[in-house]
Amino acid sequence: MPPLLLLVSGSLTEPGLPPSPTPQLVPDPLSTTGYERALDLGGLLRASLNSVLVAVVAVPLSVLVASLAGFALTRIAPRATAVVVAASLVALMVPATALLVPRFAIFRLLGLTDTLVPLIAPALLGTSPLYVLVYYLAFRALPADLYDACLVEDLSPLRTWWRVALPLVRPVTAGLTALTFVLTWSNFLDPLIYVYDRDLFTLPLALRSLSLLDPTNFPVFLAGAVIATVPALVVFALAQRRFLHHDDRPEG
Amino acid sequence: MSASGEAPPARARARAARSPDRRSRRHLALMLTPYLVGLVGLVLVPALVTLGLSVTHYDLLRPPTWAGLDNFAALLEDPIFRVALLNSVVFALVAVPLRVLLALGLALLLHRRARGVGTARTAALLPTAVPEIAYGLLWLWLFNPLYGPINQLLRAGGEHGLTALGRTPPQWLTDPTSARAGIILMSLFTMGETFVVLLAARRALPRDVYEMAAIEDATGWDVFRRITLPLMAPVLALLAVRDAVASLHFTFVPAFVVTDGGPPPYATTYLSLFVYQTGFEYLRYGYAAAATLVMMLLTVAAVLVQWRLIRRYRRFFQV
Amino acid sequence: MTDGLVLDGVSAAYRDTAVLHEVDLSVSRGELLVVLGPSGAGKSTVLRVVAGLEPVTAGRVRIADRDVTDERPGRRNVSMVFQSYALFPHLTVVENIAFGLEVRDTPRRLARERARAAAETVGCAGLLDRRPGQLSGGERQRVALARALVREPDVFLLDEPLSNLDLALRAEMRAELRALHDRIGATMVHVTHDQTEALVLADRIAVLRDGRVEQVGTPDEIWRAPASTFVARFVGSPAMNLLPADGPLRPRDDAPTLGEEPLEIGFRPEAVALDATEGTPATVDRVEVIGEDAFAYLSLAAGHQVVARVPAARRPERGAAVRLDVRWADAHLFHAATGRRYQP
Repeated sequence: MPPLLLLVSGSLTEPGLPPSPTPQLVPDPLSTTGYERALDLGGLLRASLNSVLVAVVAVPLSVLVASLAGFALTRIAPRATAVVVAASLVALMVPATALLVPRFAIFRLLGLTDTLVPLIAPALLGTSPLYVLVYYLAFRALPADLYDACLVEDLSPLRTWWRVALPLVRPVTAGLTALTFVLTWSNFLDPLIYVYDRDLFTLPLALRSLSLLDPTNFPVFLAGAVIATVPALVVFALAQRRFLHHDDRPEG
Repeated sequence: MSASGEAPPARARARAARSPDRRSRRHLALMLTPYLVGLVGLVLVPALVTLGLSVTHYDLLRPPTWAGLDNFAALLEDPIFRVALLNSVVFALVAVPLRVLLALGLALLLHRRARGVGTARTAALLPTAVPEIAYGLLWLWLFNPLYGPINQLLRAGGEHGLTALGRTPPQWLTDPTSARAGIILMSLFTMGETFVVLLAARRALPRDVYEMAAIEDATGWDVFRRITLPLMAPVLALLAVRDAVASLHFTFVPAFVVTDGGPPPYATTYLSLFVYQTGFEYLRYGYAAAATLVMMLLTVAAVLVQWRLIRRYRRFFQV
Repeated sequence: MTDGLVLDGVSAAYRDTAVLHEVDLSVSRGELLVVLGPSGAGKSTVLRVVAGLEPVTAGRVRIADRDVTDERPGRRNVSMVFQSYALFPHLTVVENIAFGLEVRDTPRRLARERARAAAETVGCAGLLDRRPGQLSGGERQRVALARALVREPDVFLLDEPLSNLDLALRAEMRAELRALHDRIGATMVHVTHDQTEALVLADRIAVLRDGRVEQVGTPDEIWRAPASTFVARFVGSPAMNLLPADGPLRPRDDAPTLGEEPLEIGFRPEAVALDATEGTPATVDRVEVIGEDAFAYLSLAAGHQVVARVPAARRPERGAAVRLDVRWADAHLFHAATGRRYQP
């Protein structure tokens, strides 16, 4: 928490002042010049638009993929489930940086570098295989009788997923949507590698070029950082009650 | 009357039990396909491509040429790679236990319901939600020797830019040891996920065990040492291994944005940064792939450790 | 009469363990069959095989004269009341009841109308807008029944629907269930491990043991002519007494002609007369008093045990020496080797 307060405080400092001899939590004079410059210089508006575009496509797609796959895993033959779960666990353990080079080679082969596609592509993985597994566990925890009742009523797996299973795991969906959004919104590494066209820069990337423009002009890029942080924090704060406090009911 | 002659063997039918009809099978295959495409296309195939690239020289412009084990031999000789490997291992050995301990402390402190606990939990979690790059830029400022609030604080009460004890404040980004410490410090605040898992684990512990301990008049330390710690040990071990693997990745942005791999001699060049620079700045993709392979081997080693831990604790709990 | 449901040599397995062994059963249209057996006998598997939730490894299933063995559950026109009721927690009562109709593309208004009518039939019309979480056990039970009812299926399958209710409610719902069946005249298969429930509800009872049908018959037949020692002891509480026919106790009136082979003699606690002056001597081990009735646990020679039901007012003391007597008319004979009923 203290770092966040400092972030806001730093972003409100008047740019170009000599370093203050004493630490101040509330800057004097208070100034929003940092924000104005950040928006002018960094193309942050354009970048925000790109970020929003990526999030609007990738987040719903990712949640959709994860919940469909997680549901299917509870219904297919146990042996197939075991294989997919094991593969997901392995995929989970591979650090993202370890896949940079080969993924880049593949996207380049497909001619998709310098587009937003590689930034959306991880949605096919549910952003993280972890989320598929979380959905799998949530769907598996529903009473087996409910699924049997759906079979007796001749519901196809797709309709069982949509009409019964999904409505019953709404808190999971809320939490995972928030996490997916935060990860997608914050994604820095992928844009760094795949996007060179300034017009396609997402917010994290624009933020970096803003900081490279004048590395000592802290209020400006801190203001940019605040702009990039606020949406993630808001979404996160809205959803965090679900996974921090869901079990706060009195026990026993 | 009995149709046992025509019926398929029991095993085959029993396995089909969860998806008995053709419509279900078709639907389920459809539902699983996008994820399988992602899993194969974004993880499995790239991992295989890494294997392939690691035995070639490749700069993206000309087609790859066969290199055999040259890349690996070169890695062994490469002082930068050795430093990066060492840095990554040291980071995992120092930062990971600290992160897990901090998360454990917070989880134990905040698992009860009380006034302000909710806010405190949120506060502990929020830095994890800050975009990596914004977080990196923040620390770039915090660590700045002149403008940065950290050194302003350290200088408070002192004169002529010295601390109150009359010493020079740390030159965070130019002194190798301070820079490494700085990166570790940065990583401590983002242990939110570990914290959430430990919080859930602590809350899942049986309450009667603690009531029993209270009846026996056990001290807080005894309760921690004899009850909480042993019961949470499996989770802690798993989180530590997971964190160690993840640390290969989450050292990238701090090293990239805050210290740029420096100060010399490559004090904060970690494997992830090494791979990035080798591939995307020096365009030596084959060489980068070979380094990636080493990284994956480290991961595999960590996964094996995790596997053994799970097995051991399973046995431990069955006895 | 046409057949409502026929199981023809049906076997089923869980993993590699056989759960049903060539079960033959037929239920007439409009009949209420109760499948009775201890836990693990495969009762629920019978229902699940009929519903198509469990595949058969051999045999055929016919519903309303139609072979449905290879049909998926939704195409068999059965409805099922689950032990847990399996109500959808996110839907209101009326949505739950209309669910089966709406997913089969019945117009929404018609579906709601029929749902209301079904709710009326089972007496839960006042709950239509609530959600399952706000209902008591008995109310959930009614909603589950209404949901099964609304589609007018060929067969109703009820999987221990009363087992989650407390004793008083169970007796009430038992009577209502029977009345409901008489009113709508549907073909029903009801699974239970509760012998009282079976005796009260059933047109016929099928007793299941280790995946095999032990006996099928009316409640009277099951009670008066149990086909095996298993049926004899499973139905009735306390269980029927069993002694070797040449053992310490022999009924004293006219004996039927007995063969050479070893037999067992069975008689219910009610059939034991204690106040006889003659008869087999025994000692009273302990006495349980349940209201007007008392059950005396007696030791006979050679360590044999017998339970006798006596009026509580005339119960013997613990440790007392008594003489007991049974009439042949109240006794059952079984082959000692197979446990099957002996026909003289």
